[in-house]
Amino acid sequence: MMNLDEIFVTRNWVGKSVRRDEDIRLIKGEAAYVDDLDMDCAHVAFLRSVYAHARITKIDTSKAEALPGVIAVVTGPEVAKQTKPIVARAITQPAIQYVMADKKVRYVGEPLVAVAAVDRYIAEDALELIDVEYEPLPVVVEIADALKKDSPLIFEEAGSNVLLHDTLEHGNMDAAYQEADLVVKEHFRVHRYSSTPLETWAMIAKHEKGNDSFVVWANDQQPGRSTANVCNTLGIPNNRFRLIVPDSGGGFGIKLAIWPHIVILCLLAKKVDKPVKWVQTRREHLLGGSHAPDCDVEIELPMKKDGKILGLFIKDIENDGSFVHTAGIYGLIKFATMVGCYDIRATRAELLSVVTQKGPTVQNRGVGKPTMIFVLERMMDIAAKKLGLDPVEIRFRNFIQPKQMPYTTPSGEIYESGNYPECLQKALSLSGYDELKKRQIEMRKNGKYIGLGISAGIEPGTSNLGYYYTSRGVPEYMGNAEGAIVSIDYDGNVNVVMGSVDQGQGHATTISQVIADMLDIHPERVSVDSHLDSLVSPFLGHSGAYSNKFNDVDLGAVIMATKKVRDKMVRIASHVLGVETGGLQVKNGAVCSRKDEQKSVSFQEIASLAYKKILLLPEGVEPGLKEIAYYKNPMAKLPSRDDFNVQITHSNSVHVVAVEVDVETGEITFLKYVIVHDCGKQLNPGIVEGMTIGSTVHGIGAALLEEFVYDENGQPLSASFMDYMKPLAGGLPRIELAHMESPCPYTLLGTKAVGEGGAIGSVAAVANAVEDALSPFQVKVVSLPITPQKVVKAVKETKEI
Amino acid sequence: MIPSKFEYFAPASLAEAVSLLSKYQEEAKPLAGGQSLISLLKLRLASLKYLVDLAGIAELNYIREEGAGPSGTISIGALTTYAQIKESKLLQSKCPLLPQTASVVGDVQVRNRGTLGGSLAHADPAGDMPAAILALKAELKAVGPQGERWIQADDFFLGMMETALSPDEILSEIRVPVLPDHKMIYRKAARRPSDFAMVGIALCLKARDDQTCEEISIGVTGVTDKPYRAEETEKRLRGKKLEPKIIEEAASAITEGVDVMENMHASQDFRSHLARVYVSRAIAAAGIRS
Repeated sequence: MMNLDEIFVTRNWVGKSVRRDEDIRLIKGEAAYVDDLDMDCAHVAFLRSVYAHARITKIDTSKAEALPGVIAVVTGPEVAKQTKPIVARAITQPAIQYVMADKKVRYVGEPLVAVAAVDRYIAEDALELIDVEYEPLPVVVEIADALKKDSPLIFEEAGSNVLLHDTLEHGNMDAAYQEADLVVKEHFRVHRYSSTPLETWAMIAKHEKGNDSFVVWANDQQPGRSTANVCNTLGIPNNRFRLIVPDSGGGFGIKLAIWPHIVILCLLAKKVDKPVKWVQTRREHLLGGSHAPDCDVEIELPMKKDGKILGLFIKDIENDGSFVHTAGIYGLIKFATMVGCYDIRATRAELLSVVTQKGPTVQNRGVGKPTMIFVLERMMDIAAKKLGLDPVEIRFRNFIQPKQMPYTTPSGEIYESGNYPECLQKALSLSGYDELKKRQIEMRKNGKYIGLGISAGIEPGTSNLGYYYTSRGVPEYMGNAEGAIVSIDYDGNVNVVMGSVDQGQGHATTISQVIADMLDIHPERVSVDSHLDSLVSPFLGHSGAYSNKFNDVDLGAVIMATKKVRDKMVRIASHVLGVETGGLQVKNGAVCSRKDEQKSVSFQEIASLAYKKILLLPEGVEPGLKEIAYYKNPMAKLPSRDDFNVQITHSNSVHVVAVEVDVETGEITFLKYVIVHDCGKQLNPGIVEGMTIGSTVHGIGAALLEEFVYDENGQPLSASFMDYMKPLAGGLPRIELAHMESPCPYTLLGTKAVGEGGAIGSVAAVANAVEDALSPFQVKVVSLPITPQKVVKAVKETKEI
Repeated sequence: MIPSKFEYFAPASLAEAVSLLSKYQEEAKPLAGGQSLISLLKLRLASLKYLVDLAGIAELNYIREEGAGPSGTISIGALTTYAQIKESKLLQSKCPLLPQTASVVGDVQVRNRGTLGGSLAHADPAGDMPAAILALKAELKAVGPQGERWIQADDFFLGMMETALSPDEILSEIRVPVLPDHKMIYRKAARRPSDFAMVGIALCLKARDDQTCEEISIGVTGVTDKPYRAEETEKRLRGKKLEPKIIEEAASAITEGVDVMENMHASQDFRSHLARVYVSRAIAAAGIRS
C-alpha cells in the first residue's frame, strides 16, 4: 500500500474543515435535480393497489385512455409479459415478482397501471377513471402470521412465506454454552422505519426510436447495479440503455430501489413520442418507496459470572414485505458484525426472511446494523443487571483490546484498528457520567426520573458485495471498487468525473481537498462534476454512493487517477526541463527541479503540450492529460461461508445519553447527548460532524418517533408526515461530539466509514437511557419505538416496552 | 400539489365572497390560510369545484378592543394569523390564552399562514384554537346572504369538521371577553412540538385568595370528534376549594359522556389518561397552591 508521502506533496488541506463547495448552489436552488431538467415531457402517474392482497380479475383502462390529454397507458399484466421477473439475491426459495403487479397485488401501494399524459394533473385524473376489479385474499401482516402453518401464501411457488432460512455458525457455540455459568436470553421486536430524503424518487425515460434504445435520467444511488438490472429485466443489450444521474437530493439507501420504476418508465416511453417523467409523491414514497424491515430477534449470551461473554446466538426474523430483490439481505448484514465491539469467539446466527403484505424493503442507512447494535447493547445492560455489574464495567470486560487489532471475528470480519475502551472512557468523562449518576439519585427523591444510556457500536462500511451469496450461490458481484477520471485542462485546472454521485455527503469538497494536496494547488482549482453518465463516466457494477464506500474506494480511485496524471505531467516536464523525473517535484501548480526551483514548468504549460503542441511531447507519451483509474479495496475476501468479510472498514463510536422520563405522560426529554466517534483519519471534520449529527438524529427518530404502522388488513396508517413522524429540531438534544482517530491501515488515507454511524449507535443508547430512567418501576425495553403510550402503560401495568 | 381541477376565485370583499358561496353552495369552499384545506386537496382527500380564496379580503384581519373595563371585549378578524395573535400585545395583556395557544399551533410556517377563523371553521377535532375559544366562551360572527348572526362557541362545533356554519356563511369575527381576574392556561400533549394535540386543555379559572374556584371553563380538544367543554369537571370544581383530592376527582370526569377517539398515537385509555393528567396540570399551572 502506498504511504502518504507518495500520495501528498503538501498537507495544507486534508484534515481541515474546508467549507462545503456544494452548499451555495444547493441553497440558492441552482442545483439541477431530475425534476428541474428542462425537457418537454409527458408526465406519469401510477395507479397503486388499495388492497394488501388481492387477485386482479379485471383492469379496464378504456375510460382513462379516452380522457383528453392521456397519451399512453401500461398495465401490470402487460408489463409482466414484456419483462423478466425481478432478480432475487439472498433468498433461496423461488418467488416470482414483476416490476408491476401481474395477477395479484401483494401490498398497498404496489403499482398496477401507469398513465402518461400531457401533464401530471390529467395523469392523476385518469387514474380515477380506471376500473380495477379485485378479489380480496386473506392478508398476512406480521411475522407471526406469516409463520403460521396454514398462513396464506404470498408467493405460492415458494410453498412458504419464509424465503430464506439459514444458520451460520462460527467458533464453537456448543462449548460456549457448556462453559457458561449462565445464559442470558431476550426477545426483541424492532419496528419498521426508514429514511425519507427531501427529494423523492424521480426519473425521465426517453426512447430513441431510431436504434430502439433508452436514455434515462434518474436519481439512482447505485447506477452500476441498476443498469444491469434494468437491461436484464427489459431483456435488452447493455448498449441500448444509458443512465444519467444528475444532482441527487438524499439517498440513505432508499434510492437503491428505484430501478423497477425505471423499467416501467422505459416501457411507457416506447409508446410515447417524447420523454416520460415521473416524480414520486411523498405519499407514494411512504407507502412503497422502501422501508427497513421490521424484525423479531431472539438473542442468547452464554456468559461467565464475571461478565465475560463466551458466545452469541441470534435468531433473526426479518419482515421483508414483498420485494424479492432485497429480501434476506438485512439478516446477513446483521450477522456480519454481530459481535459488535466485543471479543466473542463463538457465534451462531439463524436467519429468516419472511414475506408479508407490508411495503417493500431496501437497504436503509445502516442496513440492520442499528438493529444489531440495539439488541446487543440492550443485552449488555440486561446482562449487567442480571450479574449485578455496572453497565460500564461489563463493556470494559468484553471489549476487543487495542493490542488485538487488527482483529478477526469468528466469521472472518476484520476490524482493522480502533481503541474501544478508550473511546468509552472518553465518552464517560465528556458526558460527566458520574455526576449524572449522582443527579439521578437526587432527582428520584423528587419524583423525577432520569436515566443514562450507553452504547458502543461498530459502524462498518464498504460492502464486500458478494455477501448475499452466503446462502445462495456464486454472486454476480464481489468485492468493492470505484472509478474516477481526473484531467488537467488547458488552464492547468483539475476536473474530476466519478462513478458515484454525491447525495449530500460533500464528495466534491473532500475530493478537492485531496487533489489540492496531491498537486499543491488551491482546492478551488479542482472541479468535481457531480453527475454520472453510464456511457461517459468511469463505471463498474459497484458504481454508486452506498455503504459508506466513498472514503475508501472512491477516494482510492481519485488518488490513483490523480497520480497517473501527475506522473504524466512529471514525465512531460522532465522532457521540457531536461531533468530526470527523479530530480523533479510538484510544487505550487508546477513541476520544478528539486535542486533549482527556477527550473519550472507550470501545469498550464504542460497542458499546452499535451493538448496542443503535441509534436513537442516526449517520445512514447500520448497526447492528453486525462486519466482513468479504478481502485478496489485490497482486503475483500472471496465469498465463503466459513471465512468472509461482509464489510471492509469498521469505524466505531460510543454514545452516552441522559434523558428524563415523565412517567405520567410518557414524555421523554433529553438532558445530555455525547458521542465519541472514531472513523479513522478525518479528511474534513466539519463534514464528519454534520453527517454524524444528522444520522444520530435519524436514530433518535427511530427510537422514539418514526414507525410505519399497518392495521390488520395490511393498510398503512402512516402514509403522511403527519403520522410518520420525523424528529424535529424542537425536542432534540444538543449533540456534543468528540473524536478519536485510529487510522485504517488498509485504506489509502487511513479513512473509514462515516455517515451511517450515528444512526447505528443512537437507537440503543436512547433505549438504554429510557430503561435506566424507569428502573424504579422495573420496566424493560424490548421493542421500539418507545412511545409515550407504551411508557405510561409499562409503568402502570405491563413493565415492558 | 396535484389536486383535481377546480375553479379559483379571489374576491376582494366579504360581500363578494358570500355571494360566490351562496351561488355555488356545497360545491364551493372558502380558503383562508390554507394550512388544512390545501393538504386535503393535495392528497385528493377533498375535491371541490370552486375555491373561494379569502386572502385578499383585508377587512377580515384585525385585533381591536371594544369597550373598556370588565365588560370589555376584544374582536378579532377571522383572517388574523396565529403569528399575529401570538405577537399581539393587546391579547398578551388582556386575553393571554389566545397568544399562548397560538404559539403552539404547528410550526412557524403554519403560524405565519394559518388563521384563527380558518382553524375554527375547519373544526379539526385536534385543533388547538377551538379549545381556547370554548374556554373563553367566545362569540363567533357568521356572515351569509341573509346578513350576520352571532353563534356562541358552545354551539359552534357540531362534529368531525362540522360547524354551525352553513355552506354559504363565512366566519368573519371572533369576539372574546376581557377577563382580568382569570388565570388562563393552554396545555397540550403532542408527539412532537408542532403536532396536533393528542389532548389539549384550555383553561380559564378565577379563584379566590383562599383557593376557592369561583369560575371555571375548560375547553378540550384532541379527545373526541369535536372540541368540547368539560362541563362535568367544571361543575365538580366550581365553588370548591382547589385541593389535590378535589382536582383529581374533577379531572377524572374530563372525558365523561364523551366517545374518546383512538388512533395509532393514543388508544382510548391512554388519551383519557392524558386528558386527566393534563387538566390537573393545567389547574396546577394556573398557579393554584395545593
